[in-house]
Amino acid sequence: MKAMNRRKLIKVSAVLAAVSLAVTAVPAQAAVGVSSREIKLGMTLPMTGTASLGYNKIPGAAKAYFDYLNKNGGINGRKVKLIVKDDRYVPTEAVAKTNELILKDKVMALLAPLGTANVKAVAASVNPARRGVPVLFINTGFSGFAEKKKYPTTYTVLPSYVMEAKIMGEYIKDNFAGKKIGLLYQDDDFGTDALAGFKTAGVNFAVKVAYASGSQGAAAAAGWITKFKAAEADVVILFGVSSATSAMLGVAAQLKYAPQWMLGSVGGDATTIKLTGVPAGVLYNAIGFSPVPATTDMKDEYVKFFSDIYAKAVPGSTFDLNVLLGMNTAFMTAQALQAAGRNPTRKSLMAAIDSKGASFANSALVPAGYSKTSHVGLTGYWVGKYSPTGDLSPIGGTYVTYTTDSGSGAVVKSTYVRPAMPAKGLPN
Amino acid sequence: MQRRPVVHKKQSRDIFLFILGGVVLFFLSGMVDELRVYQGATIAIYVIAISSIILLTGYSGQVSLGHGALMAVGAYAAAVTRIEFKLPIILCFVVAVLLAAIGGALLGAAAARLSGPYLAGTTLALAIGLPSLANQFTVLGGEQGLLFDVGFPPLSLGEEFTQYKWFFWIAGLAALISMWIIKNILGSRYGRTWRAIRGNEVAAQLSGINIARSKILAFTISAGIAGLAGALLSMTIGTVSPSAFPLALSFSLLAGAVLSGLTTLGGAMIGAVVLVAIPEIADVVAHRVGSSERVTTNLPGFLVSALLILTVLFVPNGPVEQHRARKAKHLALKK
Repeated sequence: MKAMNRRKLIKVSAVLAAVSLAVTAVPAQAAVGVSSREIKLGMTLPMTGTASLGYNKIPGAAKAYFDYLNKNGGINGRKVKLIVKDDRYVPTEAVAKTNELILKDKVMALLAPLGTANVKAVAASVNPARRGVPVLFINTGFSGFAEKKKYPTTYTVLPSYVMEAKIMGEYIKDNFAGKKIGLLYQDDDFGTDALAGFKTAGVNFAVKVAYASGSQGAAAAAGWITKFKAAEADVVILFGVSSATSAMLGVAAQLKYAPQWMLGSVGGDATTIKLTGVPAGVLYNAIGFSPVPATTDMKDEYVKFFSDIYAKAVPGSTFDLNVLLGMNTAFMTAQALQAAGRNPTRKSLMAAIDSKGASFANSALVPAGYSKTSHVGLTGYWVGKYSPTGDLSPIGGTYVTYTTDSGSGAVVKSTYVRPAMPAKGLPN
Repeated sequence: MQRRPVVHKKQSRDIFLFILGGVVLFFLSGMVDELRVYQGATIAIYVIAISSIILLTGYSGQVSLGHGALMAVGAYAAAVTRIEFKLPIILCFVVAVLLAAIGGALLGAAAARLSGPYLAGTTLALAIGLPSLANQFTVLGGEQGLLFDVGFPPLSLGEEFTQYKWFFWIAGLAALISMWIIKNILGSRYGRTWRAIRGNEVAAQLSGINIARSKILAFTISAGIAGLAGALLSMTIGTVSPSAFPLALSFSLLAGAVLSGLTTLGGAMIGAVVLVAIPEIADVVAHRVGSSERVTTNLPGFLVSALLILTVLFVPNGPVEQHRARKAKHLALKK
């Protein structure tokens, strides 16, 4: 009996060993993720689950642009292939899927991973920095990721929460001096960033309400409103995720509570808010912030171009902020790949962003801060108001943009002139 | 008196098999690529977590939908110990086991008064509520969590020795040791007591078994093992955060336990391999077929669910138990 067991065990381990050898016997490539015909990029983000709402449109948006690019010659004849994996917004999954992307699919770079906890876990476990894998244009505004020493291969794109809070503070000083200000924020790094920004801007709050991530809902929102009412806040800033904004606005509509709302960009996408059943009218006159043009602004050449491509690639899907940002990221990536030379490598890709990233054409109305010493992406916002149908558009019809940094630098009105869109929307 | 040598023989065979298993894993880790090593570590961790559920549900007959929460307790305990007291990693794991076991004892005390759907409901609430408690205390790092760094592998293992291989060794060793301990506990008086309770509570009580104490003990041991799995899980992702322990984790572990066969510890491997392999198989299938993104992203869930239904329909006690039963029947027929 014992002998038979052992024999079985030996057989099993022999088979396992043979299989594993076969798996590892793939020949090494000269530049990882780049062949003569293809450039492979990888993306992990929530495609299913509660956190996927809105964000799950990003891969489709990015692919829509890459497909357009590939049909028009690709990058020096190479097609861009985007491999997307669902992480369900769980760090464990994000790590597992990123490992697959880097070790099995052998992608050249990671593109637009989403969520602060996920990006942190991937940095700690997979350690793309040690492997020399570029992590391009991450979908989180946590200011810590711009620390080049800690995350040497990571590039941010969204303006940080600190920048947003500072610009909000500036707007409040200019327009709501003497008014009582209330703040709703998330009790974590997201909120800590915001508080730091408001502090730098010198905003004094009549009331601050913190909520724990995951606790937001109608019942909690009723409690928040009681606090804001008690403090007689004239202006209420909602610096939280979409579900918090939606819960708050939904309950406020029922209770007929209507202060001057000011929405942070993270929870301010009208399409996502309206999807939860909040009537568009509640958004009317609320103040909002965005680094890219209004998604309904068809006079904007980038918005027009992106929405045309998207309508053809994903018919029937609304062109919203997530789509615009997804396509913009793909657009910037294409330029980075083009600038990385005839035979791009991970190193030359990062060098290209370091040297030319600040001048990459893209839809944003604010400058990007890429340089040899900085991996900071976009650095500001324009201020707008929501229309009766819930669309954010610039106050007075023209975009007035502000720019700042994540430190103690001043908020200044930006004179940045966006590069014109390259011919046919292809990198040159 | 006559049985004793048999027991000794069996035990020494078990020890031999466990050591052999360790040696095979050791050599295997040197042969496969980094991704497989990483997946191997994940499988080892799932084996531990699933066996803790098998011990609790399969042997003591108590249902837990909240093992993810107990894993979170272990993970946070290990990370906080590491960060605040800078203890060696092995001690962090010990603390994880102890604290999760204490949590399990408290939960068990409540659970001993509950059964069936009420127990399931209580543990479910725990799975939902407990991880987000971390948001209330700054020492736990809020939603973004804490870094949990077990350090680089010792230099004596060579420069080529990867971090994931180190994780695999730690997780593999932990899995072997905990499986060996669980196997012995289940074979001991306690294991028999639990099986008696699961079979018939009244009869067990009549035979002099203290039901409440036995149930609490089962919960305590199971929680301690789950805590170890949690600490190991956060080791592999380098961080601890509430979102790493979602409700889905508790459910998929339970699904893994059902796939393994709830009453056979030896089957834990099956559930663990399935949980790790299914998403990859789904990926391959979806790409072969060239289907849309929506299919690709939902296929793993569909496959696990389908397997679960098939298991419950055709091998309700798990493949291992089924195989044993068939073999026993076969032998009986032969005689």
